[in-house]
Parts: sequence; structure tokens; C-alpha cells
Amino acid sequence: MSGSATISSRSLPGRVPGNPGIWVGIFCVLVEFLLLFNVYFIARAHNPEAFRHGPEKLATVAGTAITLLLVTSGYGMVKAVEAMRRDDKRVTLRWILFSMALGFGYPVVKFFEIRWNVSRGVDGAAGIFYTVYYYLTLNHLVHVFWGLLGLGWTAVRTGLGAYSAADHHGLEAAAVYWHTTDIIWLMIFPFFYVLR
Amino acid sequence: MIGRAEKIWLLLAGLTLLGAWLAETAEHGWLLAVTVAGVIVLKGRLVAVGYMEIGAARALIRRAVWGFVLAVPFLALLDYRFGDVVAQYTRAALH
Repeated sequence: MSGSATISSRSLPGRVPGNPGIWVGIFCVLVEFLLLFNVYFIARAHNPEAFRHGPEKLATVAGTAITLLLVTSGYGMVKAVEAMRRDDKRVTLRWILFSMALGFGYPVVKFFEIRWNVSRGVDGAAGIFYTVYYYLTLNHLVHVFWGLLGLGWTAVRTGLGAYSAADHHGLEAAAVYWHTTDIIWLMIFPFFYVLR
Repeated sequence: MIGRAEKIWLLLAGLTLLGAWLAETAEHGWLLAVTVAGVIVLKGRLVAVGYMEIGAARALIRRAVWGFVLAVPFLALLDYRFGDVVAQYTRAALH
């Protein structure tokens, strides 16, 4: 008996932030982007000059703005979860809406960035660096939209009083997914805007 | 009063501005690649541990997230240093 209890506690220590379902999704996203980053690495290995000069035509200010929007939005979700742990639903809702507002800033900045790029001839056919850049960043944008849908769902549920200090796994699940998209962008930004 | 979340946000914002500065001023080279990889690991750890709380999570979750945060910049460094070898071994698959 004690042996099986020991094995059980060893194999399942710690907690699951959010819920197990969201982690299945997060594992899939991590594997997907690991593959996409390998596309970047292989393309870079075959075209070192294109990747060395590629960042020169991108708007660093746009990449920096997106990064700041995402890390600040992520901070907002940390505060939302903290507030829910105090059972302060009104403050939780405010922080979720704060995070969503900043999160929606990402597609807005991206829209103007792409418009600026295209006006200067930097479209998906401008070269291998830009093909990979558009493929990865737009793919990431799709995941951000899913995250925003999740945040919207938790905002509605928080407004309806569905979460409490004792049970807010759904809110945590949306938050950890949102932080995952953040981590992935924290890699995309240096790979395309900084590394030469 | 600056709490833990605020300190992490300040570090993330500061490292982002460092990245922007490097993007505008840094030259191609190994030092830039190592700096970029180090910043990725540091920022990834700040978000994973400070915001996602994976330090207290089950081992599978910890290993998956932390493994991703370490693997991607490590592969980037390998690619940066040994890109010619990567190209040589993947050429057959691409042509």
C-alpha cells in the first residue's frame, strides 16, 4: 500500500495550472511551433545572407510594440488571477478587459506593419526570409486570436459570477494559454527583428 | 508597492527594449547570437516561472515548457554556428 502511494505521489507531484485540457492544447502548440522554428532554422542554414540582411527592412518599432503589448497583457492576466484568488470579481473583470484591450492592439499594430511592409515591396514573395517571417508571424497571430476568444469567454464567465476563489480553473487555463502565446512571440521577435 | 508581477513585467519590458536597441545597432556575429539566445531563455523563464507558475506544476508540464524555452534558443545557436552542416544534411530532402 505504502509502495503504491509513494509511486503515485512521485508520478503526479505538483498542480496543473488551469486544467488538463488546456495543457493538451498547449503541448500541441509547442510542438507546432518547434516544427515551425525548425523551418526557420533550415531556411536560415540554406540562405544565410538573406537572413543576415532580412531584418534591415522590417520595422523594429512594430516588433517592439507587439512585444510590449503582449508582455503587458500577460501581466494583466496575472493580476486577474491574483484578484480572483482574493474573490474580487470586479477587479478580475477589469484586468481581463485590460489584457484583452492590449491583446487587440497586436492585430492593429500588425495591420499597419504589414501595410508599411507591402508599400515598400516587402511582401511574402520578397524573398525566403520574408516568406518565413509572414508564415510564422501570421500563424502566431491566429493563435493570439484563439487566446483573445478565450479571454473574452472568461470575461463573460467572470461577469456572470461563474468563477470563485475556490474554483477558477477556466480563468487560469485562459491565462496560461495567453502566456504561452507570449513565450512564442518572445522567440519570434529576436529571430526576425534582431538576429543577423 | 512593487510586487513580484510588477518586477517581472519591468524586467520583460527592459529586456524588450534591449532587444530593440540590439536590432538597431548590433552587428552580425557570435556575440549577438549568444546574447539573443540568453535573452530568450531569461524572458522565457520569467514568463514560465513568474507568470505561468510552472515551478509548482507537475513534472510533465515543467519539463515541456522549460524544455521548449531551452531547446529553441539552443537550436538557434547550433544553426547559427553550424548552418553549413545543417544545409548539407537537409539539402537532399529539399531537392
